[in-house]
Amino acid sequence: MDTLLLQTLIQGLLIGGAYALIAIGMCLTYNVSGIVNFAHGDFLTLGMFIAFGLQGAAALDPYISVAITLPLLAVLGALTYQYLLRPVARSHALVIIQLTLGLSFVLQNGLLMIFGGQPVRTPSAVEASILVIGDLFIRTPQLIAFSTSLTLTLVLFVVLGYTETGRRIRAVHQNPQAAALMGIDVPRVRTLTFAAGIGILAISGALLLPGTTIWPAQGLRFTVITLMALILGGMTDFAGVYIGALVIGVAEAVGTVYVAGTTGMILPYAIFILVLLLRPNGLFGRAT
Amino acid sequence: MLRIEGLTAAYDGPPALSNVSLHVEKGEILGLLGANNSGKSTLINCISGLVRPLAGRISFEGTDITRLKPHERVASGIVQVPEGRQVFPKMSVIENLLLGGTSRAARLQRGTRLDQVLALFPRLAERRPQPAGTLSGGEQQMLAIGRALMSGPRLLMLDEPSLGLSPLFVQIIFKALGELNKQGLTILLIEQNLTLTLAYAGRGVVLERGQVAIEGARDMLKDDPRTRAAYLGL
Amino acid sequence: MTPAFFDTLRTPWLWLLVIIVASFPGWLSSYHLGIAILALLYVSLALAWNIVGGMAGQISLAHTVFIGMGAVVATALNLRLGLNLWFGLVLCAFGAAILGIFLALLDSRFRLAHLSFALITLAFAEIGELVVTGSDFLGGASGLYYPKAAGGLAQFNFGGSTGYLFAALVLALVCLLVNNAILASPLGFYLRALRDNENAAQAIGIPILRNRAVAMAISAALSSVVGTLYARYLGFVDPTQLASPTLVIEIVLIATIGGLGTPWGPLVAAAVLVPAGELLRGKFGGVLPGLHYFLYGVLIIVVVLTSPEGLVPRLASLLQAVRRKAGETP
Repeated sequence: MDTLLLQTLIQGLLIGGAYALIAIGMCLTYNVSGIVNFAHGDFLTLGMFIAFGLQGAAALDPYISVAITLPLLAVLGALTYQYLLRPVARSHALVIIQLTLGLSFVLQNGLLMIFGGQPVRTPSAVEASILVIGDLFIRTPQLIAFSTSLTLTLVLFVVLGYTETGRRIRAVHQNPQAAALMGIDVPRVRTLTFAAGIGILAISGALLLPGTTIWPAQGLRFTVITLMALILGGMTDFAGVYIGALVIGVAEAVGTVYVAGTTGMILPYAIFILVLLLRPNGLFGRAT
Repeated sequence: MLRIEGLTAAYDGPPALSNVSLHVEKGEILGLLGANNSGKSTLINCISGLVRPLAGRISFEGTDITRLKPHERVASGIVQVPEGRQVFPKMSVIENLLLGGTSRAARLQRGTRLDQVLALFPRLAERRPQPAGTLSGGEQQMLAIGRALMSGPRLLMLDEPSLGLSPLFVQIIFKALGELNKQGLTILLIEQNLTLTLAYAGRGVVLERGQVAIEGARDMLKDDPRTRAAYLGL
Repeated sequence: MTPAFFDTLRTPWLWLLVIIVASFPGWLSSYHLGIAILALLYVSLALAWNIVGGMAGQISLAHTVFIGMGAVVATALNLRLGLNLWFGLVLCAFGAAILGIFLALLDSRFRLAHLSFALITLAFAEIGELVVTGSDFLGGASGLYYPKAAGGLAQFNFGGSTGYLFAALVLALVCLLVNNAILASPLGFYLRALRDNENAAQAIGIPILRNRAVAMAISAALSSVVGTLYARYLGFVDPTQLASPTLVIEIVLIATIGGLGTPWGPLVAAAVLVPAGELLRGKFGGVLPGLHYFLYGVLIIVVVLTSPEGLVPRLASLLQAVRRKAGETP
């Protein structure tokens, strides 16, 4: 296979893996709350900026400051769900979209006010490190991101499928009323799962941070990528969502490498629109 | 055991229940009867905590439970087998049963109770790993009841368990319910099938348009023409 | 035109407002005049969006593309090819309308849920931004700059702030009148029927595609026209401002805060929030960039949680309650 193509594919898969974890986060929040959170990417950005800030203030490497950002985001997620989203969970889709768009604005511009609009980078110990295999270059941060996201997703998959807690979460997802009749505290399960979904973003943020520039308004872009991955993957299935994210990643890589400039970035969106129209139940076509 | 006083409940609109009062004696089987939309499901959903009443009190074994959340009521020992079974379709029979015993208190007895349930309904044991959605209606009903039993109920409420079931299954299930009652389980049974209910229940309450129309012992209800009238909406 | 439409024309408040606004150049400073112009442009944008968002009940985030078309494409055609802006305006309005109809077609052919529609329009908006920033013809990432004001009205040059104020005022009025015209017409009725209960509306024979496509086309064309004026007024096109999804989200938030039931909601909201935002930005912008956007976000959250129908209807019903109370005390 042509080296450039292989390199591009690998690049796409690696970045797709990083996106996948973000998408898994939304998979959790969406499936237990029924709410598509348009501010998802902004929570991610928040985590990234907190890590950036901690780096500047306390010289904490982003991989380490996760210990702080994770609980922080989880608590924020729980509060957001409890006080902002639960009250409108049964409202019209438009209302929920508007609410979460507003939340997105709040987060985005809150960050803007604190950090200013200039893109910033977080220096990290691993950012310059590159793995060379034959003719292929693999950036270490991306490899770490991919393997961490894969591992974490597998762990979550096992937890969801084979533990008591996971079973309860699945029950709440499949039939909340019946779950309540089993003695499951449904609101609590929902809040905790939502919190977990947002907490994961702290990890994703740390994985994406080394070597990349961030700016406060980038949230929407990530939200859209996440939504695309979710829809491609069929909304409910971890495996599907993971693959969906990989597809987006590869599409992005192929687009940017083979079509000059920013125009190449159109490819993922174009694919997404096509899939949404032709296979509204996702690439794997499972009707819910 | 269970005492309901002045219960009024509504969804958006006219009241589904108006000033309903009744009680369930410990160890009995009480039949809750009435035509469609007479408020039977609303009543047991109020007891389970899924519907919040506008007025009234519910007390269980002396304690006022009106303010308790649904999962707290299960912990108190009030368990419902909902209308339409409501099993978790994508989960296996075993997982459904395990979920029945998922509350903290129930988990301690889960192993024992699981064996008991499987002994009561051997059919379920045969179908252990199957997804619940693939079971027949009758088997799903067994599963739903078994699942409810996993919580160790002191009051078991069933909403139309015979709906859509073949006579064979109806017999199997009601025989099991009879067994459980003999072992001391109090049962509140909602059924549209008048004859069936009066065959098993010692006492009955007939609801009509959200209000208690008649209440009395089985034989009294059997002979009272008003009972059938209430069903026919007269 | 139905009587209801003419009722609006007869509203004294409206003409009072128009006269007040028209008098602005006489006594407002040029800074405040600029804010007024911006407010009027946003009123137009909010009203244009309201045709789809409020009346048809569809959250479209694609309006960035329509606005961008009028702003970026018309400007590019003018600067690169020398095409007169009036022609560019019409051409782009037409192009935007076609695009709008295309989106309505997608929606109807594939029976998209609200969320899917919103996402697809968002994807289009993102593609639009990428197309603009990736094309030198359209200005790329750095944008397009109008050379110093040349020519007169025939060149779509309205002169100083006064000229643009009147242009924006006229445009806002047009948007308001279009809104009211639609509202009072069968189209408006059909749109609202489809919005409130699509299945029922379909069952009684209201064609979905035709009505939504018309609404989209009108909304898109109007948005494009505003875009052209906006660009010409600013004197330059910044793609991160005029071609980015942030703009349409801002409009959605403003319109929703006002209330999507009637045109007055978006109008009042834009008329109040934009100047407030600009004044805030003037005061604090250097220290706290994005403060006004932050407050929009907070405001919409508060509105959705407490008065989901919007602030204007809420204020209106409060006023009614007050009036009733006042009437009750003999």
